Amino acid sequence: MRINDAILGAVLLACSLAVGLYARTFPAIPGQEYGASVFPTWISIALGLCSAVLIAGGMRQWAETGAVSLASWARSGHHLRSLAITIALVVFYILASTPLGFIPTAFIALVILFGVLGVKPLLTPVLAAGITMVVHYGFYSLLRVPLPWGVLTPWAW
Amino acid sequence: MDAILLATQMVFQPDVLVTIVLAALFGLFVGSVPGLTATMATALLVPITFFMAPVAAIGAIVTCSAMAIFAGDIPGTLLRIPGTPASAAYTDEAYAMTRKGQGELALGANLLFSALGGLFGTAVLIVAAPSLAEVALQFSSFEYFWLACLGLTCATVVGTGSTIKGLVSLMIGLLVATIGLNNPAGVPRFTFGSVDLMGGIDFIAAMIGLFAVSEIFRYVLGMSPDTSNVQAPAGNLFTGWGRLFKQYWRQSLRGNVLGTAIGALPGAGADIAAWVSYAVSKRFSKTPEKFGTGHVEGIIESTSSNNAALGGAWVPALVFGIPGDSITAIVIGVLYLKGMNPGPTIFINNPQDIYAVFLIFILANIFMVPAGWAAIKSARLLMKVPRNVLMPTILLFCVVGSFAINNSVFGVSVMLFFGLLGFIMEENGFPIAPTILGIVLGPLLEENFVTSMIKSDGSFLGFFERPLAAGLGIITIAVWIVPLGLYLWRKARS
Repeated sequence: MRINDAILGAVLLACSLAVGLYARTFPAIPGQEYGASVFPTWISIALGLCSAVLIAGGMRQWAETGAVSLASWARSGHHLRSLAITIALVVFYILASTPLGFIPTAFIALVILFGVLGVKPLLTPVLAAGITMVVHYGFYSLLRVPLPWGVLTPWAW
Repeated sequence: MDAILLATQMVFQPDVLVTIVLAALFGLFVGSVPGLTATMATALLVPITFFMAPVAAIGAIVTCSAMAIFAGDIPGTLLRIPGTPASAAYTDEAYAMTRKGQGELALGANLLFSALGGLFGTAVLIVAAPSLAEVALQFSSFEYFWLACLGLTCATVVGTGSTIKGLVSLMIGLLVATIGLNNPAGVPRFTFGSVDLMGGIDFIAAMIGLFAVSEIFRYVLGMSPDTSNVQAPAGNLFTGWGRLFKQYWRQSLRGNVLGTAIGALPGAGADIAAWVSYAVSKRFSKTPEKFGTGHVEGIIESTSSNNAALGGAWVPALVFGIPGDSITAIVIGVLYLKGMNPGPTIFINNPQDIYAVFLIFILANIFMVPAGWAAIKSARLLMKVPRNVLMPTILLFCVVGSFAINNSVFGVSVMLFFGLLGFIMEENGFPIAPTILGIVLGPLLEENFVTSMIKSDGSFLGFFERPLAAGLGIITIAVWIVPLGLYLWRKARS
């Protein structure tokens, strides 16, 4: 999905303005001219200039390309749904892994994602369980990453 | 001499050697699966190296990236799909050879000249790095400021695509680097009261998002190439190596020299080296009309070049802490994590660490020949890996890797954010590499700028007072002004 450069430029311009204004609130180091705000201010100026160039270029192409030119996936409901589910599963992991524990969360997420990507239904639970346990063994037992146990805490090892 | 002995002892440990072999297999696998890049291989490896001893960690990354750059040639030759961007320059040529029934010759040449190119890049690294380090010892914050500017400028100017979009990408990276308490004034910036943001954005999670998660999104959207009709090479790969070398040693050498030089240029890496070398090879060939019809000459020159670029990219990375490409940007982050801070002093204080890196480079390029042979022989299998199982597994890996850095799900959120950002940026033609360079170099740039300003009492002239700084400053400003001037001049004429 290609968004017209003018729109992206406008978003970036708004960002650079926000950054520039916010940077003015940083306290100065007493007796120093160059404190915490110098660098972000410079970045916001540079980003603002770049966005102006993008806007100018995008306006010139507007007649040909329009605001947004959609890639083939953007017109396919199936593909868009797959993307939405993938993102949702990562969010699910962020929210659920601590209360639920790594093993159930990863298992559920993998089962759903395998389903979306068309892995054979019979294979799905076996693969999901296998991969979850291999990753758990690698990171928890070998690398000593404290993956959360959640509801499985009584059976933790 | 003691340092070399010590380095040998450090490298020839069972655990280090096992790590190197495993990293090699991992690199070959990731490189040969289309849609997974060498940078992604490195990004996925970093959370694991986090838990290793320094030498093993560096060894794993060096070996993995060298193997992945070579292995990218395999699907390029067999399917016309470059396994990594570094192979894209000669994919059509190599595939044309496969169609003529010369797939073995193409892959054999790729293997031989990749290994030779890697060794050449290493030799340059061994010779150039210590002598450059002596120069670098005289550097102060002024010179480092200019060097960082030069590196970042090259990253945006040299890359393919739009310079202005490269600049935007760089500014995004620099902006991300300002988040948190880690600045000369120790003031919380852009933290919005969040304790997690106080520590800054962790570059490992950001990089996993940019290079791996965005790729998974592309796969889910059906944007990955089809790999169903693969033809495996059957013949002997090693036939004709002597003849190839005798006939094309000039091309190989030219590719090596150019590749190492481009690699050493901050911001330009193996992919650009391969494109330039392919063009050079065609320009100076006695038979330029054969290019594009399945002719091995250009393949040899550019495959030599992209592997040589890897060694070259380590020169500025080790000596100045300025990354040569996105892989070395990742490496610099890892070096800091491991307490092996790059810079000239490491050559004096811990020469054994440097020699260990050199040794690993040599080992990796020698090991490439048998391991690469095995990978080519199992190419049909590698290309048929069910990616609908592989991609979710990689995603889980990314999630756990981002969690493992601080043992907090905040890392996973950062990963997701940068995954989406990377996806949107690539879709709209913004290169990603400048962002990661900005995140890595941002703190260095700011610190050296503020230190220099305090030293020179707020006078910009201080940046030109020392001869070295003045020289670097003039070069940097020339790199800024010359392209702009040329552009305006051309505009005025037309």
